[in-house]
Amino acid sequence: MRSALIAALSWLALVAPAVAQDKAPDVKGLFLLTDYPAVSVRPGNTATINLKLQNYALPPERLTLSVSGVPSGWTATLMGGGQPVAAAMPATNANVPLELRLDVPKDAPMGTQTLTLEAKGPSATATLPLNVTLAKELPAKLTLTPLLPELRGSSRSSFEYQLGIKNDSGKKLLVSLAAQAPQNFDTTFTEQYGSQELTAVPVDAGQSKDVKLKVTPPTTVGAGKYPVTVRVAAEDATATAQVALEITGQPKLDISGREGLLSARATAGVETSIPIIVTNTGTAPAENVELSGSGPSGWKVTFEPKTIDRIAPRANREVQALVTPTEKAIAGDYVTSMSASARGESANQTFRIAVATSTLWGIAGVGIIGIALLIMVGAVAWFGRR
Amino acid sequence: MRREGSPWRGLSVVFVKELSDHLTSARMLVLGALVVLTAGAAVYAAIQQIKDVSAEDPFLFLRLFTVSREPLPSFVSFLAFLVPLMAIGLGFDAINGEHNRRTLSRILSQPIYRDALLFGKFLAGLSTLAISMIALWLLVIGIGLWAIGVPPQAEEMSRSFIFLLVTIAYGGVWLALAILFSIVFRSAATAALVTLGLWLFLTVIWPALAPGIAQLVLPADDPAVPLIGAQVLARFSPSTLFGETVLALLNPSTRTLGPIYLSQMQGAVMGAPLPLTESVMIAWPQIVGLVAGTIVLFVIGYVIFQRQEVRA
Repeated sequence: MRSALIAALSWLALVAPAVAQDKAPDVKGLFLLTDYPAVSVRPGNTATINLKLQNYALPPERLTLSVSGVPSGWTATLMGGGQPVAAAMPATNANVPLELRLDVPKDAPMGTQTLTLEAKGPSATATLPLNVTLAKELPAKLTLTPLLPELRGSSRSSFEYQLGIKNDSGKKLLVSLAAQAPQNFDTTFTEQYGSQELTAVPVDAGQSKDVKLKVTPPTTVGAGKYPVTVRVAAEDATATAQVALEITGQPKLDISGREGLLSARATAGVETSIPIIVTNTGTAPAENVELSGSGPSGWKVTFEPKTIDRIAPRANREVQALVTPTEKAIAGDYVTSMSASARGESANQTFRIAVATSTLWGIAGVGIIGIALLIMVGAVAWFGRR
Repeated sequence: MRREGSPWRGLSVVFVKELSDHLTSARMLVLGALVVLTAGAAVYAAIQQIKDVSAEDPFLFLRLFTVSREPLPSFVSFLAFLVPLMAIGLGFDAINGEHNRRTLSRILSQPIYRDALLFGKFLAGLSTLAISMIALWLLVIGIGLWAIGVPPQAEEMSRSFIFLLVTIAYGGVWLALAILFSIVFRSAATAALVTLGLWLFLTVIWPALAPGIAQLVLPADDPAVPLIGAQVLARFSPSTLFGETVLALLNPSTRTLGPIYLSQMQGAVMGAPLPLTESVMIAWPQIVGLVAGTIVLFVIGYVIFQRQEVRA
């Protein structure tokens, strides 16, 4: 019982729109139609007006087409299918597309002219008055809208702004692009999804186009907010927009020995202290700088202190690297690397450490020779005879 | 019977007489000529080789001593061979020669102690050796300066000078050995043959034999143990000690003379020359071995000589 009701309802829902579509419009007669019956045209130009000859519920018949009220000097041509036509014949409930081509002379006076189109057949007639206003060309007009006008990043990142350029004039414009940024900032315009750099972009009448502005600041720039003025221009129209980049500073670490020395001496198995200078060459203070080092296997590399709380920009701190070569290290040069890192920023440096072996064995050797000499002296004293 | 007065009395007399005998003897003349000729040939070959192939070498001058060119061995190889020959030639009839000429009792009847006689003979032999070595060394450096045209650096000169001292110490070992056998054996021919035999054994056969002995005697659980053992055994030969010392001194990039583990080479800068003191430190045990060996061999000979019966 209930499912039958639902079925009936859904049948109704399915059928109802079909019924509405099948229903013929309650209109009868012959009509000349156009979307815009009043248009403006520039003198010296050719305007094309799209027309439609519509037959509603009338038997088809031959309709003669004519244009009246054409000012002297103007040329009005009715076109159908790309050729001049003089008559049309729409079927019942069908239409025939037509075009009216108007050639307006350069010296035509300003003002509004009314042209009357007529389609006349044996039984039916349709007329359409068209108002043609002669007007000056619309001035070019551009608008420029940045999608995200303020960006933030470090001095090493690049900043990408999406800019919408809208052409609010009646014709296609070639829009030139320019950006004014602080000194040493690099600015380039590219397509939205492309890498080709642009200096100008064509924008169709009434359309808008997105371009991308990429600003690369110099890596040495300090923290702060930097404005960039974007200026687009076409013919006599210009538009400007302000974008800004906020640069947060970035620490940059550098590690070296005292006076740039990258070598040191050490004795096998003995801790040696090497002065290390950590410099912040970046634009923001480096905090919690951790020092680490690695040498050949069996070596011990530690630092005193192990971490540096803070190094201001363009400042340096000295720490002591305590290097203990392994007892088994043979004499000669070894490579040891030391690094300083602070939140993603790190510096690496290799040090050449000349290992000397202990002189203990040298003394032992002298001792052995001494013992041999003592034995000799003893022998001379003991066995000496006349 | 205890001695009265200094044991060195008469030392200078014996020393001067022995030295003049050595320097004027035909034996010394022949040995000297042999050494100079062969060493000169080796150095000439080395110079040709250096001129042909050497590009940039921070120790060009040291290459004079170590570079060889077919078919001649290098200068140091010649020295390793000829210095023992010369030392044995100088010492093999030191005491038994006096015995056989019946002059020993005559000398000892003079106010000269036995100590002084033996010391004087040894020092005279060593001085003869040193004089010829210094002459040879100067000759080589002179030829090198003239032929290569590059003045040696201070470091090169220090290294080659220490090499000269080591060569004299190496000669001292064989001289002490030769004198020892000249005391032990009454016949000069026997002493010469025994010394030469021992020299050949220690120089040629012993280094080849040492690994085999080490492999037989030592457990082979760790492959490093027989290797180290073989090296320790080989170092009983003065020739091995001399060869290793020369390697450390004349090749500044030598960092060790023994076997090393790979872990010790990790992170090492290859080919970097060592400072002179480090090179000497590496070769120090070998140098000590040569010097101490000379003294010990001499003392053994001395003790035997002191206890010998000397009859006219």
